[in-house]
Amino acid sequence: MSALGTIIGLATRSLYNRRGTALLTVASIAISVALLLGVEKIRTEARSSFASTISGTDLIVGARSGDINLLLYSVFRIGNATNNISWQSYQDITSRPEVAWAIPISLGDSHRGFRVMGTTQDYFQHYRFARDRPLKLAEGKAFSTVFETVLGANVAQELGYRVGDPVVIAHGAGATSFMEHDDKPFTVVGILARTGTPVDRTVHVSLEGIEAIHVDWQQGARMPGANVSAEAVLQMDLQPEAITAFLLGLQSRMATFGLQRAINEYPEEPLLAIIPGVALQQLWELVGVVEIALLAVSLCVVAAGLIGMLTAILTSLNERRREMAILRAVGARPWQVLMLILSEAGLLAFCGVALGLAGVLALSAAAAPWLENRFGIFIGLQVPGLFELAVAAIVVGAALVIGLWPAWKAYRNALADGLTIRV
Amino acid sequence: MTASPPDPEATAVAARDLRFAWPGHAPVLDLPSFDVARGERVFLWGPSGSGKSTLLGLLGGVLEVGAGELQVLGTPLHGLRAAQRDRFRATRIGFIFQQFNLLPYLSVVDNVVLPCRFSSRRRHEALRQSANVDAEAHRLLDHLGLKGALLERPVTDLSIGQQQRVAAARALIGAPELLIADEPTSALDHDARGRFLELLLGECATAGTTVLFVSHDTSLGTHFDRQVALAEINQASAP
Repeated sequence: MSALGTIIGLATRSLYNRRGTALLTVASIAISVALLLGVEKIRTEARSSFASTISGTDLIVGARSGDINLLLYSVFRIGNATNNISWQSYQDITSRPEVAWAIPISLGDSHRGFRVMGTTQDYFQHYRFARDRPLKLAEGKAFSTVFETVLGANVAQELGYRVGDPVVIAHGAGATSFMEHDDKPFTVVGILARTGTPVDRTVHVSLEGIEAIHVDWQQGARMPGANVSAEAVLQMDLQPEAITAFLLGLQSRMATFGLQRAINEYPEEPLLAIIPGVALQQLWELVGVVEIALLAVSLCVVAAGLIGMLTAILTSLNERRREMAILRAVGARPWQVLMLILSEAGLLAFCGVALGLAGVLALSAAAAPWLENRFGIFIGLQVPGLFELAVAAIVVGAALVIGLWPAWKAYRNALADGLTIRV
Repeated sequence: MTASPPDPEATAVAARDLRFAWPGHAPVLDLPSFDVARGERVFLWGPSGSGKSTLLGLLGGVLEVGAGELQVLGTPLHGLRAAQRDRFRATRIGFIFQQFNLLPYLSVVDNVVLPCRFSSRRRHEALRQSANVDAEAHRLLDHLGLKGALLERPVTDLSIGQQQRVAAARALIGAPELLIADEPTSALDHDARGRFLELLLGECATAGTTVLFVSHDTSLGTHFDRQVALAEINQASAP
């Protein structure tokens, strides 16, 4: 057995002999490492989920407000538009030669807490998320008539809807509404496959559908005595007068900036065009502060875990002076005493890191379905990646560096005590 | 006082004008001459304050010789660096201390074979006696009256007398040429003390090991070839 092997063997058995405190130390390192890896995992997954919310769209156009506000209501279904866009402007801009496709969006209604979005069939054809993934129908078909609706995966799952079920849309965006378009129920004709984006939480209807339920409404309330039946409304002209926003795909990406400027300077109406990637980046930078704070906190917890280990080793040194003297008497050199303490620090950190890694893998396996459902964050079940291994190496390395302190102290003790056993 | 130069072949320990002082303090040890012959079993009577710990530290190579000469087993310790003295101690000297000699987290046999883990020479010597170091540990333990289920017990469950016999086996494994015992019997009762000395000295006689036995208990002196009072030969402790 090599000298170092002997030392590590002794360290292992010495630690096992003090397994009560050793386990606590390992547990504190494990928890801190699991926290760091967990936070980092959620952070990167959230970031990539976030970045993959929308893809393929070159410009998002809405009434003039802020970039992030437009992004939030048009893509994330958060907040409300300050103003609408006239159908005329929409027609005008989308007829320009640079435009390959357009998806109009009309928001403002909800169904039991889920936003209702009026759009056209182009949505199912052109909308992309993640890396150019198109929307897929898990069941049924896209809407084709006025009172048909296609549900996002979460809407269908949480409310227990199947194809063929009726859906009553409420006015406004609240979770509960006293004003319902109950005279004109919709029928579920399709349910979308899960995307992990806000699409999953959206009720999709046609623009005509949105128009139809508002025919007899004005100023956000039903006009007294002006009930138009669902049958009668179908005979009416359901061409919308205004929409909330629209997404544009261009013939060539080169045209993006030019068209963006043209829209921002559109003379007929104050409009705003944003590039999704740029706005997503701006939004993420806002969220990023929290992200950095979270990472900083978990780094501090790792530091606390390592300091806990340092405390445990330092306090054990005095009661172990006898052990060191015995080792010296049977032939251990002072540097071997130093290595003994150092390998204890290394072993504690190694076990802690291994346990923490196993813990975070087990936890992410257990929490993955919940995270995906609740937040649309996909946590892939991968073997420890480069980052995990780097964290493991850094924590063990840091433990060894910290361990030099008690190890040096033990070395000094060993030199000073010699073979004299001090109690 | 002058003494003849030591013969490396015949002397296990030879000190000439050996002095040691802690920095800034008066000397604690001043030995004009002290010899132990090879194979000799010497009883060194040393009450506390007689410079006993210092002498053992110097013999064990833990302390550096301040002035004079100290030759152990033919090797001049005053000429060696710390690492060389460490290696020398590990290979050539076996130690037994007062009590609590054993590492509580190792088994009886693992405690005994420890010197073989730190010295390839001790290991090599052990393998000349037995097929492997564990077998050699069993052989020595058996000679010292420890066998069977006793060896499977945690060392902390053994009586102090049994622990000291385990420590003796450890000091003797791998045939070190010099055994230094520092008050190994002080925690034992009268009967256990006699039995322990008998077994230890018997085993040393068989192996031809030189014994330097330090104690404050003069009644033990009769078991040895020669008795030396450290206070009488140490000029520094003289009143």
